[in-house]
Amino acid sequence: MSEPNERSQTITLRVNGTERRGQVEPRKLLVDFLREDLGLTGSHVGCEHGICGACTILVNGEAARSCLMLAVQANGAELMTVEGLAPQAGEPPALPGKTGQLHPLQAAFWEHHGLQCGFCTPGMLMTAYDLLQTNPMPSEAEIRAGLSAVLCRCTGYQGIVEAVQAAAETLRARRGDR
Amino acid sequence: MKPPPFAYHAPTHLDEALALLERYGDDAKVLAGGQSLMPLLNFRLSYPSALIDINRVAELSYLRQENGQVCIGALTRQRTIEFSELARRQLPLLHEATTLVGHLPIRTRGTIGGSLAHADPAAEYPTVALVLDAELVLQGPGGRRSIPAEEFFVSYLTTALAPNEIVTEIRFSPAPRTSGWAFEEVARRHGDFALVGVAGVIDTEGEQCRTARLAAAGAGPTPIRLRAAEDILVREGVTEQGIQRAAAKAAELVEPDSDIHASADFRRHLTEVLTRRAIQRARERGQEQRA
Amino acid sequence: MSSTEIGESVEELTPKFVGARVKRREDQRLLTGQGAYVDDHHPPGLLQAAFLRSPYAHARIARLDTSAALTRPGVVAVLTSKDLVPLVKPVRAASKMREYKETSFPPLAVEKVRYVGEALAVVIAESRYLAEDALEWINVEYDPLPTVANAPTAAQPDAPLLHDEAGSNILLSREFARGDVDAALASAAVRVRDRFRFRRHATVCMENRGCLADYPAGTGELTLRSATQCPGLLRDALADLLDMPEHRIRVVAADVGGGFGAKSSLYPEEIVLCAVARRLKRPVKWISDRQEDLKTSTQAWDEIVDAELGLQADGTIIGLRADVTTDIGAYSIYPWTATLEPIQTISFLSGPYRMPHYRGRNRGVATCKAPMGPYRGVGRPVTTFVLESLMDRAARLLALDPAELRLKNYIRADEFPYKTPAGLVWDQASLTECMQKARDVLDADTTTRWRAQARAAGRWVGIGFATYIELTGVGSAIPVSPGMPIATGTEAAFLRIDPAGTVTATFSVAPQGQGHETALAQVVADALGVAFDSVRVICGDTALAPQGTGTYASRSAVLAGGAAIRAGQTLKEKALKIAGHMMESNPANLDIRDGQVFLRDKPERGLPFRAVAKTAYAGLRRLPKDMEPGLEVTRFYDPFFGTASSATHVAVVEVDTETYAVTIKRYIVVEDCGRIINPLIVEGQVRGGVAQGIGAALYEEVVYDDAGQLLTGSLVDYLVPTASELLPIEVHHIETPSPTTLGGFRGMGEGGTIGAPAAIANAVSDALSHLGIEINEIPITPEKLFRLVRAAEGTP
Repeated sequence: MSEPNERSQTITLRVNGTERRGQVEPRKLLVDFLREDLGLTGSHVGCEHGICGACTILVNGEAARSCLMLAVQANGAELMTVEGLAPQAGEPPALPGKTGQLHPLQAAFWEHHGLQCGFCTPGMLMTAYDLLQTNPMPSEAEIRAGLSAVLCRCTGYQGIVEAVQAAAETLRARRGDR
Repeated sequence: MKPPPFAYHAPTHLDEALALLERYGDDAKVLAGGQSLMPLLNFRLSYPSALIDINRVAELSYLRQENGQVCIGALTRQRTIEFSELARRQLPLLHEATTLVGHLPIRTRGTIGGSLAHADPAAEYPTVALVLDAELVLQGPGGRRSIPAEEFFVSYLTTALAPNEIVTEIRFSPAPRTSGWAFEEVARRHGDFALVGVAGVIDTEGEQCRTARLAAAGAGPTPIRLRAAEDILVREGVTEQGIQRAAAKAAELVEPDSDIHASADFRRHLTEVLTRRAIQRARERGQEQRA
Repeated sequence: MSSTEIGESVEELTPKFVGARVKRREDQRLLTGQGAYVDDHHPPGLLQAAFLRSPYAHARIARLDTSAALTRPGVVAVLTSKDLVPLVKPVRAASKMREYKETSFPPLAVEKVRYVGEALAVVIAESRYLAEDALEWINVEYDPLPTVANAPTAAQPDAPLLHDEAGSNILLSREFARGDVDAALASAAVRVRDRFRFRRHATVCMENRGCLADYPAGTGELTLRSATQCPGLLRDALADLLDMPEHRIRVVAADVGGGFGAKSSLYPEEIVLCAVARRLKRPVKWISDRQEDLKTSTQAWDEIVDAELGLQADGTIIGLRADVTTDIGAYSIYPWTATLEPIQTISFLSGPYRMPHYRGRNRGVATCKAPMGPYRGVGRPVTTFVLESLMDRAARLLALDPAELRLKNYIRADEFPYKTPAGLVWDQASLTECMQKARDVLDADTTTRWRAQARAAGRWVGIGFATYIELTGVGSAIPVSPGMPIATGTEAAFLRIDPAGTVTATFSVAPQGQGHETALAQVVADALGVAFDSVRVICGDTALAPQGTGTYASRSAVLAGGAAIRAGQTLKEKALKIAGHMMESNPANLDIRDGQVFLRDKPERGLPFRAVAKTAYAGLRRLPKDMEPGLEVTRFYDPFFGTASSATHVAVVEVDTETYAVTIKRYIVVEDCGRIINPLIVEGQVRGGVAQGIGAALYEEVVYDDAGQLLTGSLVDYLVPTASELLPIEVHHIETPSPTTLGGFRGMGEGGTIGAPAAIANAVSDALSHLGIEINEIPITPEKLFRLVRAAEGTP
């Protein structure tokens, strides 16, 4: 039986395909662990009460708020953050011909102006990723409902919705099931 | 804000979790999906000395049919229910209500047991449990007991769960195949807690109403079963007048509060509107079921 | 009047990239999680700050004891106002405006607190977790004072005083007038009037405010990374407050997660962190949590407007008079002061119409709420709402088509430049064209028929128009905030062409999502005649940038764009002289395109631009006689009056007859923002602006109770629209280059938010016209419609 412990615990998990270890106090939020301990600052902290969605990542393949999980809860889990969407993406600036490595969602966000300040974008991408894996052919209303999990203050969502529609098509074509 | 410090336990068996709960009593919080508890911790509105994280208690996560009932382990994620063929077929009302709980990333973590134990009257699951006459199985050091949903919800965020007990299972008896269902709610935004929600399951034949079950969310300190409105439907049938009178009765039965999003008056008004819409849609669905 | 210099006319710019739908170069890093927001920086030795904030709206600080907190684990320092006194001067937002009462805004409360959330102390610790733990060990006792809860009661002579030094809660009053409005209204055939209410609004940038200060003793340079729109403005202010030379302060705003005005002021936390870093000689970071942000970021738009419009029987406007009361919150924010929003309301209230007689009065009143500051549109959303609402009422009374009534009264093309009653000058605007196109896009006849059919079926549907005109790219003739002693009328561009021919363009404007790195590169590339990819744009770092303030008030395209054209043209001229020398040709016969210098009459003869660049640094031997080596320049631009942007918005709505939810069925924008640099970015700005306007119209409201407690301190209660509440916004352009600005650009970052509340309110009023309901308050919530409909139907 586990002993009461406010002190650090060792956790081991896989993040974006790589095994990572860390020493964390039990109260440390998963998003803070990702950002501060693993240096993965792509997942953003916007509200810490599960409304804004900027911290959304994939936990064992499913989108979840990393501000509403403790790092210790991710012990043994497989996580994917925005940094894992396109690990082969080239370094900025995007030069012509060198962006082929973006994930179709990222490419579509770029094409359709699906971001302005970019702060919600990682959470938006991970939420859209989960949306398309659970519903590969969503209607516009379904996309809007799915994306309502993440707040964006810049775009009015229009470019984002168009991007997700376009990415859905690309992903379907890629799988050859259109 | 960041959570205050606490001791943390992640038991892998129910017995272990119960022993920890016995040890800490009221000073501990059980952490299930965390979609309500974690914000409270992050806002420092809750200072438990220990968290008992039951997410690794695998024995609490299941969804199965048993003796004509659908039994759902308390740790079963809302997401699992959403994508469960069994839930969709046997408990369509629960399934529909699930899609109204927050957003998919919330449902990934949120559990049915956690939602019921938290007992937010505006949440969907407590109202569904009430309207479907669900049984909650509670386990404590002294063993298991089972309690009907109607007795489980005591007042605002307060249940019949003893400090040393954990909700382990929820049992639903599927409605007759001829009945229709509906969960109607009004929220300010998609995914928000409902200003008011009304759940209904009714079994009709023409204008005759064999059984009716109705309950309201967000319209009182607990989810509220609208029995007097049900009686009107059964007595008067699903005629225009019967439905109207049942809806009007529902508005009398609720005890809503005012807050910045809606006044008590408006919530009463919405209860009437949504009761009528729920009855009509449930009736249409029942007709489709038979067809 | 035009400040365009000879030889810099619009035609000089040969557009190749300007006007093109260029995808943003910012996006690659932001899409892959490689952005550099303040909180992404974790320098070695970093400390974290947490602020103790008042739970009281108004109270004397009876006791403040930090000794226990100092002993808590990980705590390095705890500071209160006593500790700050030797380190920083108090902030006083000054204005030369008569009848403005200047007050102090201490970075940490001195003697008393004036709103819930005001900072009293700061804990500096090894982590934010530990800093928050220690906050609970600060011993503080308050003697509560009577709450100054709202502007009307605060303006009463016997109201409790918030600032003793002011002697009144009314911190300013101002009037603008033209003609004899009282006589004009007395003679009017038709008068419409009402009391309008704009509720308090929060900006809610997705990135909360935050900053990181570092003062390595060795360099003696203080670096502040901040989520700010105005690094230059902050640097200048901090130098004064901290009594440091400006050249020892560097303010950096790299990636910033939205601003919309709320990040354009100087905040207490920025000052405190600089002082602390300087004292501790260690980097210190403070990142606001969402609750802090909702409590302490500047709020906006809290106004009561009593307005009356008079028209002749044929619909000609003859006069408007208005009394405005603005709730400016607890403090006057630096540098904009409490005058910003109040003055702009009475400046813009006369709208896009010929207004022979006018009087607008405003009082700015202090209350126990977060300070009021700029938010997208400043003064224009509420005035557009008021005036456009009165126009629709007048149309109903006169039985005129609301669009026709507007067309009749718009300032006509031959009347520009038009001086408004408040003294602003509209250089030119496409008011009639925007309305006509909006009606075409709407297909007004078909939509009107649809409305009639829907109404016959018992549905509540309505159509609403709103037209606005706004001043953008404001130059030095009209400071952004009246009487403010800082210069907001100029910006600069620093261009460096290196020997390899690539271009670095550095600006003091600092974006938060507006795509400056792309749009300004398009302008520079065209001004020089080089490839887009050879231009790199750097913004938001005072150590690199020329003197300037930042990005606010729809100014970056006009001011930075104008400066970029100037700088580009200066360097191009010099490059052509060098090329002429190299080619033994007259520079006047040369031009640059696609990075190639060529002879105009023999385009096949030329040399690569990079060869010219290399020569520019090769020394006197290779250069024309008396030419100084190098290809670098800083040029400034001041558009003087600024230029007008205008648009017509159309909303088609349906109100649920039972739940009173408002659904927007269509939303159309026809706007003229002059020459468009990048349609992708412009449309994104318009759509995003409309989204915020829809939020304001239907969802968003900051609520304080009578005790001054904030009831909307989380995103559960302050309702920002999600994707499900919004719809595709139809955006159309009339592209009339501004006659007065370099490049013909007009500002357009705020327009979407300006038009939307008015258009939606008018559409809802139209939908409920059969009940005689006129919307005079936003947000239009289901609760409010429920009450209005009940009252109209006579139901208790």
